[in-house]
Amino acid sequence: MKFRKLSLFTISLMLLMLTGLSGWVRDAAAEGAPGKTYVIGTDITFAPFEFQDASGKFVGIDMDLLEAIAKDQNFKYEIKPLGFNAAVQALEAKQVDGVIAGMSITEERKQKFELSEPYFQSGVVMAIGKNNDSVKSYEDLQGKKVAVKTGTEGYRFAESIAAEYSFTIVPFDDSAQMYEDVKTGNSVACFDDYPVLAYGVNQNNGLKIVTEKEVGGSYGFAVNKGMNQELMNKFNAGLANLQTNGQYDQILEKYLGENASQPVQQSRWGLIMESLPALLNGLGKTLLYTIVSLFIALIFGLIFGFMKVGRNRFLRGVATVFVDLFRGIPLIVLAFFIYFGIPQAFGFTMPLFLAAILTLSLNTGAYVTEIIRGGIQSIDRGQMEAARSLGLPYRKAMIKIIIPQAIRIMIPALINQMVITLKDTSILSAIGLVELTQSGKIIIARTFASFDIWLVVAIMYLLVITILTKLSGYLERRAHRG
Amino acid sequence: MGKIRIEGLHKSYGSNQVLKGIDMQVQEGEVVCLIGPSGSGKSTFLRCINRLEEITAGRVTVDDHDLNDPKTNINKARENIGMVFQHFNLFPHFSVLKNIMFAPMELGKMNAEQARTTALRLLERVGLVDKAESFPSQLSGGQKQRVAIARALAMNPDVMLFDEPTSALDPEMVGEVLGVMKDLAREGMTMVIVTHEMGFAREVADRVVFMDGGYIIEEGAPEEVFGNPKNERTISFLEKVL
Repeated sequence: MKFRKLSLFTISLMLLMLTGLSGWVRDAAAEGAPGKTYVIGTDITFAPFEFQDASGKFVGIDMDLLEAIAKDQNFKYEIKPLGFNAAVQALEAKQVDGVIAGMSITEERKQKFELSEPYFQSGVVMAIGKNNDSVKSYEDLQGKKVAVKTGTEGYRFAESIAAEYSFTIVPFDDSAQMYEDVKTGNSVACFDDYPVLAYGVNQNNGLKIVTEKEVGGSYGFAVNKGMNQELMNKFNAGLANLQTNGQYDQILEKYLGENASQPVQQSRWGLIMESLPALLNGLGKTLLYTIVSLFIALIFGLIFGFMKVGRNRFLRGVATVFVDLFRGIPLIVLAFFIYFGIPQAFGFTMPLFLAAILTLSLNTGAYVTEIIRGGIQSIDRGQMEAARSLGLPYRKAMIKIIIPQAIRIMIPALINQMVITLKDTSILSAIGLVELTQSGKIIIARTFASFDIWLVVAIMYLLVITILTKLSGYLERRAHRG
Repeated sequence: MGKIRIEGLHKSYGSNQVLKGIDMQVQEGEVVCLIGPSGSGKSTFLRCINRLEEITAGRVTVDDHDLNDPKTNINKARENIGMVFQHFNLFPHFSVLKNIMFAPMELGKMNAEQARTTALRLLERVGLVDKAESFPSQLSGGQKQRVAIARALAMNPDVMLFDEPTSALDPEMVGEVLGVMKDLAREGMTMVIVTHEMGFAREVADRVVFMDGGYIIEEGAPEEVFGNPKNERTISFLEKVL
């Protein structure tokens, strides 16, 4: 029975690894083949270039352009909404074939990537809170804080004039957070590309634009140097065709013209109801990743926990290194390292789900190892001695006498760990995992309804965690009775 | 069966020498009581007799088993050596009955039916049949220790080791445990007992061994050691405890 359970663990673990492996082997095999599906990384919250509409579809200038170009040039692609920084890192790590994310063409990027012909002429503007009348020019920023988005032209521009006008830069990862910081008054202004801010203002993001457009760079589509040249050629050719046949202007008109769609006036409740399916979907992902990771972490914990209490000095050392390593690295750094770092170093594609699960399982596994070690070592030494003195071998004594008692001691700590892991899945939104937090971010990027959406997200976490804790408490009491 | 032979036994923890050369033989059916001040090494000595402590030098033989020979199956040897601990060490997640049935069944000595019959017979012997379905947490100290004795006896050992079996008990419960031990002695069990119960030692022991500082200082029949101690340290110890 014991053996059957153990082999079940092993089989599931291997299945998981296999599906993961086949994922990237398949990707690798598809390289260069005709009809290849290109994976294109993009931002999640860069309206009007890319954002999710109410039905969950990615739309925007970049998305429509790409769709039209792909049609024109007859290639298939798949969009990976990762966030701007993650998308660029994913490109560097060869996790995606190309990036279209309102990316400005700069000398720096030209060094690293192959960039397309410019497809949009942009420029940086400054926006402040709608009801703010005191800031009219850069001079008024003295001693104030200014919100910017990392890796953008707005950031570079703000940086270039920060000393001159003596303001402080507060960097954010996406536009919605940046706007929020200005709306709440933490920062007095923000800098971003003109179309982005104009669109946001159009959608009632609570800001207004107060400066003229600084003459700025242009946007381009990026692939890695020496790779996907074919894709680049197609992009340039398709772009030229669209510009000739007028489709290009239509797309721009759709998002930036006078007749650009105004937001549908919607009640707060209506917005929440509309967002619920996406949020519930995200919650499902959160639960799925939590459960799978906990399961694997438990296996890690059992293996390394027993190595730690065992008598073999070498294995004890291995387990100690495991715990110190994965407990000592912040989860977000571990996620970046696994998803971006390792694939870049070894030149393969890591599926997102595998990276997410590995990150969570290794981190949680380190904690579970300590819980299991602590549980076993908390059992009085006399129990082992009594069992051994009756003639029981070490393993039998461990399995029948020590572990059943240790489990009861471990349960509260394991429940605690489960709650932590569930909440920690939100950190994986940084590598583009669309779980509950990321789902919230995406909706806010479109609607700017921070309060309502974060409230719903918080309540969802709270509800699920409360239910799980109560359930576990019930099981724990039963275990004590039984 | 039930012979113990100890030759040149040394035991150190790092640089701390606890046992400094002990030779002793215990005959079949003999009851030996180890007495001495705390820290004299008597508990450590007892724990070497079933290899709960690894010895530093010397030889411990119980019946035909040289306990520290790598070729010896220590688990097999221990089946024949029962041990009772100061703090009982009952298995808290098992009922009283299961505590007693567990080892014989787990080690393939008996099937469930035989184990149950044996356990109930042993419980009757220690006067606790009515507690068969209780859990250790529901028992008094004296009851726990009697269950622990029954648990050790279930493996049908030839030797029983007792490590201060009454030290953790309230005074009114000491008697019930000593009573069970007296019965065992009378039935011819080979017993080595570390104890502070001098009255019990005088009454039950065939031989009393006085230890101090890692050595056996003096040994002999109880009336010899208690009535006419020869060594100064024995005299001074007995003056304090009697």
